[in-house]
Amino acid sequence: MIMRPFLDMQFGERIIILMAALVLVLQIAVVAQRWIVTHIRVFAIQSFLLSMIAVTIAWFNHAPHIYIAAALTLVVKVILVPIFLERLVVRMDIREEIKPIINVPLSVVISGGLTLLGYVVAESFYTPDEQGLGHNELAVAISLFLIGFFTMINRRKALTQVLALLSLENGLFLAAISLTYGMPLIVELGILFDVLVAAMVLGILIYRIRESFESMDVSRLRRLRG
Amino acid sequence: MTESIMTRIVESAAQFFLLLALAPLITGAIRTLKARLQTRRGPGIFQPYRDLFKLFRKGMVIPETASWIFAATPWIVFFSTILAGLMIPMVAADAPLGLFGDALAVIYLLGLGRFFLALSGLDTGSSFGGLGSSREMTISALAEPAMMLAIFTVAIGAGSTGLTQIAGAAIGQTWRFLAPAQMFAFAALALVLIAETGRIPVDNPATHLELTMIHEAMILEYSGPYLALVEWAASIKQLVLMTLLINCFWPIGLQPTWFGFGALIGIGWLIAKLLLLSCAIVLLETVNAKMRLFRVPELLAVAFTLGSLALVSTFLF
Amino acid sequence: MLLLALLLIPVATAATSYFARRREEMERFNLAGFGLVSLIAVVLAGQVLAHGTVSLANGFFYADALSALVILLTALVALVCATYSIGYLRADQQSGELGDEGKEQLAQLRMYYSLTPLFVFSMMFMAVANNLGVMWAAIEAMTLVSVFLVTFYGKVTSLEAAWKYAIIGGVGLSMALFGTLVTYYAGHRLAGSDALAGLNWSVLAQHAGLLDKTSMRLAFVLILMGYGTKAGLAPMHTWKPDAYSEAPVPSAAILSTAMLNCALYGLVRFYILTSRSLGAEYPSHLLLLFGLLSMGISVPFILAQKNLRRLLAYSSIEHSGVMVTALGLGGALGTLGLMLHMTFHTIAKSLVFLCAGNVQQHFKTDLFSEIRGSVIRVMPLTGVVFLMAMLAIIGMPPFSLFQSEFLIVRAALDSGHFLTGVLFVLFGTGVFAGALLHVGGMILGPRGDTPVALRRPWRDGSLLALAAALVVIGFWVPAPLLELIREAAKVVSG
Repeated sequence: MIMRPFLDMQFGERIIILMAALVLVLQIAVVAQRWIVTHIRVFAIQSFLLSMIAVTIAWFNHAPHIYIAAALTLVVKVILVPIFLERLVVRMDIREEIKPIINVPLSVVISGGLTLLGYVVAESFYTPDEQGLGHNELAVAISLFLIGFFTMINRRKALTQVLALLSLENGLFLAAISLTYGMPLIVELGILFDVLVAAMVLGILIYRIRESFESMDVSRLRRLRG
Repeated sequence: MTESIMTRIVESAAQFFLLLALAPLITGAIRTLKARLQTRRGPGIFQPYRDLFKLFRKGMVIPETASWIFAATPWIVFFSTILAGLMIPMVAADAPLGLFGDALAVIYLLGLGRFFLALSGLDTGSSFGGLGSSREMTISALAEPAMMLAIFTVAIGAGSTGLTQIAGAAIGQTWRFLAPAQMFAFAALALVLIAETGRIPVDNPATHLELTMIHEAMILEYSGPYLALVEWAASIKQLVLMTLLINCFWPIGLQPTWFGFGALIGIGWLIAKLLLLSCAIVLLETVNAKMRLFRVPELLAVAFTLGSLALVSTFLF
Repeated sequence: MLLLALLLIPVATAATSYFARRREEMERFNLAGFGLVSLIAVVLAGQVLAHGTVSLANGFFYADALSALVILLTALVALVCATYSIGYLRADQQSGELGDEGKEQLAQLRMYYSLTPLFVFSMMFMAVANNLGVMWAAIEAMTLVSVFLVTFYGKVTSLEAAWKYAIIGGVGLSMALFGTLVTYYAGHRLAGSDALAGLNWSVLAQHAGLLDKTSMRLAFVLILMGYGTKAGLAPMHTWKPDAYSEAPVPSAAILSTAMLNCALYGLVRFYILTSRSLGAEYPSHLLLLFGLLSMGISVPFILAQKNLRRLLAYSSIEHSGVMVTALGLGGALGTLGLMLHMTFHTIAKSLVFLCAGNVQQHFKTDLFSEIRGSVIRVMPLTGVVFLMAMLAIIGMPPFSLFQSEFLIVRAALDSGHFLTGVLFVLFGTGVFAGALLHVGGMILGPRGDTPVALRRPWRDGSLLALAAALVVIGFWVPAPLLELIREAAKVVSG
């Protein structure tokens, strides 16, 4: 009947794979686009998808503590951090586009390559007898991690570097869920709290940098050398 | 033997007429939907038919410097597009000329048409034509790899590049669409569809400004029946690509054969799916602005990456 | 009990300092708090020596000899720096560094006096946490708190330093988190139904043989790069010179000693797991690589250095390299060398930084070329102590660091790592020459026209106390301390 799909393990796996693929597509789209506010919103959507993946896993694998982790992720990464960052953008009156260091088409292709690398790394974790989720989600997680690294190097503006750092954390969250159904709750709590505080700390720093340097361009931070 | 040849001929004729009849309807539907979304009334769904009728009765003006290419192109484009259209499954899963050509043949027939259009744009000797041709070839050069990768992905999933087999493979499994490879391929093909049919954000089909036109620039010098043929061919190409997209991934409603009552149901399903896709296209067009020309490679790079991810994920997932 | 008090007192200190209304109150709260913490640390050390380990809350808090040593060193450094910062910040107030009179200055002081205890709290938390994930959260908290300490003076260069620190630290700690995650995966079959136990260090260490080997390989690399970033290993060291030269001197002293120790503590915990699971060879290769690289990279930067505190930062990078090399060499000698070096380095490095603070505040500059006027004539006490501390930190006998470095070289040669031993001595010599050249020249150079400095009770007092400790330790390490160090080394070498 109608409830049947919601209990079928295979359906759950399909949905999870679908959402993980969407997260990956969004990450690649983020590399390609040029507006900071869009970047923040896509990050919020990605985090939402991740918490939904967590909920799906919790549902199908009867692991209730993941619900809490998912709820926390929802509150912190989908609501609090994006709101804080968007307010920061408004306050700083940022109007320029993101100009990456490597041009966009090449960055997109490099991101594709990094995704492949993520798959290769994830292969080494895959044991056929494991009850877990399979290596799809882990591959997406590692790809997210690698693409986040690459984005961090590829950007000049401080705020985009912070967003890259946050997407690194997203990748780690997904990796945690797919490898081990999330880490112990208290660890998840600690990590999420740290993410929130880190976002705020970095936001404050960016605001002050912008005030002092009249720009968020970190390539201008060159006074300390040697 | 003779029976199957007879059935083939009948099916081809039926699909031929369907293509001719349906293409302007879809174009009209898209224009009307777009107008309605912009709170205008729009020219009406049947306007493209009226336009074609008008154009066929008008006289022609041909540039002095034009060669035989200018005269031949409309016919070549028209018939190559129709031929490609006969090779795709529209109503029946079994495409009428499916034995003669597969997905690659479709793509390259369309490419043949585009090649001649570009040549004729250069042939007119006007700068607008050359401008349009060069832009068109740039975009298609970037879009083609993405399209090939996506097609190959789908073909690997089906075990053959024959469109009949591809559609057939998709019919069996309901959740197949949810596989990442299919999703990525669908996304890549959708982006390529926008590029190939010249819709916003790649090209504006309604503009005649030098800064913004691509397809319109190539056909600027055509008039009268030639223009009618070229425009009709453009609508048919759009129909072919849209049908390709729909029936490779979502072949609900494909009938076993053209014959019998099932054909009408098949046509009905086809129109419904096409309308759904048209709505999506219209939404995309209304929400986005046309991209600057040198931003188009970025979009197509995303399509290319999606295509390659799709291809690789058939092996990895 | 003890462990809880160890954690709660810094928090209480931070809270009371935050709500205090006068500078003297803040200073007193800080002093009292850190004094208490030091006392508890000593008692804890005694308990650990007596009972082996101290644990609380079903193993959530866990202190063995290694933790006790790190806690003791942290507490002592915090106490000395608290004493020093009284004089230091008062001088800053007078010279107008802290902003305008009144509320702004008070706000700055409030920030310093409440952030520093929080900083120490996170370090204590890291040392007593048994759960690897909680350890990570503690070191991340450490980073976030210290970012604001680095931006204390609000200068343009401070912001730049803080940004580099935050970002490089953030990226490094993400890698460390990934490594922690992979470790959890390697051991999750051990956990069974108790999810929390899966990341418990004590449980993992006991059953290390059952950990998944491929995962542990990857985990160790990630952890080395992650915690190594916090420790200042090359090539992730670029934040150190900036952060150390921009932060207020007592904070820089804590950063370079206590935080370094905590980062190494984290690294050592994972090293123990990895070496018990994979054998000591794989981690030792990586550790030697990064350790020698750090030592090597610091040499040219010290030789060509123009700025006092940046030179100290590179020296700190070199010492991280020394300690990581010692860890890589392993065995009884290597680990003993590591623990001894950690202890001696803490004392000497904090002393060096405090002296540098005196010099910087008096001459108002960090550049060697501008500090003309031979420190020893203008500030006799500081000059003498600075010279002595500098000699200690570059490994000159009879100071204690010479003994620990000698032990490490002996460990290298004994275990057949001849190249390591040679490179170690070579790099050490390079650092010796460069540091002596610059700092010695600064201290003993020809006299200029800077006026003689006035008496500064708080700063000089703390300087003297630390100097006395340094001298004494060179000749005699009190038996309980030595015992603690040996026990800590045994935790590592098994």
